[in-house]
Amino acid sequence: MNTVDTDRLVDAYLRRLDAAALALPPDRRAELIMEIREHVQEALREGPANDEAAVRSLLERLGPPEDIVSAALDPTLSVQVIAPSKRTNGLAVVSLLLGVLWFAGIGSVLALIFGYRARREIKNSGGSQTGSALAIAGIILGWAGILIPLMGIIGAAIAIMLSGGSSGVPVPLTTS
Amino acid sequence: MELGRARNAVTQLRRGTLEYCVLALLRDGRRYGFELVRTLSAADGLLVSEGTIYPLLSRLRRDQLVTTSWQESEAGPPRRYYQITAIGQRALADFRDEWARFRDAVDALLTQGEG
Repeated sequence: MNTVDTDRLVDAYLRRLDAAALALPPDRRAELIMEIREHVQEALREGPANDEAAVRSLLERLGPPEDIVSAALDPTLSVQVIAPSKRTNGLAVVSLLLGVLWFAGIGSVLALIFGYRARREIKNSGGSQTGSALAIAGIILGWAGILIPLMGIIGAAIAIMLSGGSSGVPVPLTTS
Repeated sequence: MELGRARNAVTQLRRGTLEYCVLALLRDGRRYGFELVRTLSAADGLLVSEGTIYPLLSRLRRDQLVTTSWQESEAGPPRRYYQITAIGQRALADFRDEWARFRDAVDALLTQGEG
């Protein structure tokens, strides 16, 4: 028998299972992979032969990894509803970060763009994405980062106009 | 075509009854996964893809119909054994009653007018 070849067959099968099982919650994924691994070990230990043909037939009888995972996901077979693992929307995080950093208003504008886009993505994700609060925080900071300096500029301009442009008043505009 | 139809109906029945077949196998003592698979496979076509037994066992465990324990084996790594719980015994007893009623009713209809 050629152990290298049979090991490779088993490894390839387990890798396929591993990839297919990404659809499962992490703890159940780990459990399933471990149980299939144990099954293979047990079968090889008890089997009359473990040459390549025997290993192929063993894996064939186990069935396609995708089928095993769909059996684990099948709602008609599952009493418990599987909660999909939620992911935080990346743009929402970026939006908040840019909102905080401000970057002379450029960050704020980007925070608004990314914030609104993140909200749309989260809404369309059908509950599989979180981060709505982060996106809202990014949007609020974005507007604040634009409106507060803008009001400062307008206020300063009014102050200058009211003072009749008298030369003694320092121009506050440059400090913002 | 009609044969495929009948086969499909039986496949649905197999799916629905498999977990009780597993519980029945555990009624008289614990077994490990591979042992369960081998026994179920030996019984007429109960398992199409053997690997699908593991998601089923996982579900039975989450529903507290079975528990697992580890036991050293003579050779090789320790084995994961499945054993039936009191809840599992109860579910199995209920199913036996229901199944007997169902089987008798279907048999009576199928053999109606024969002999």
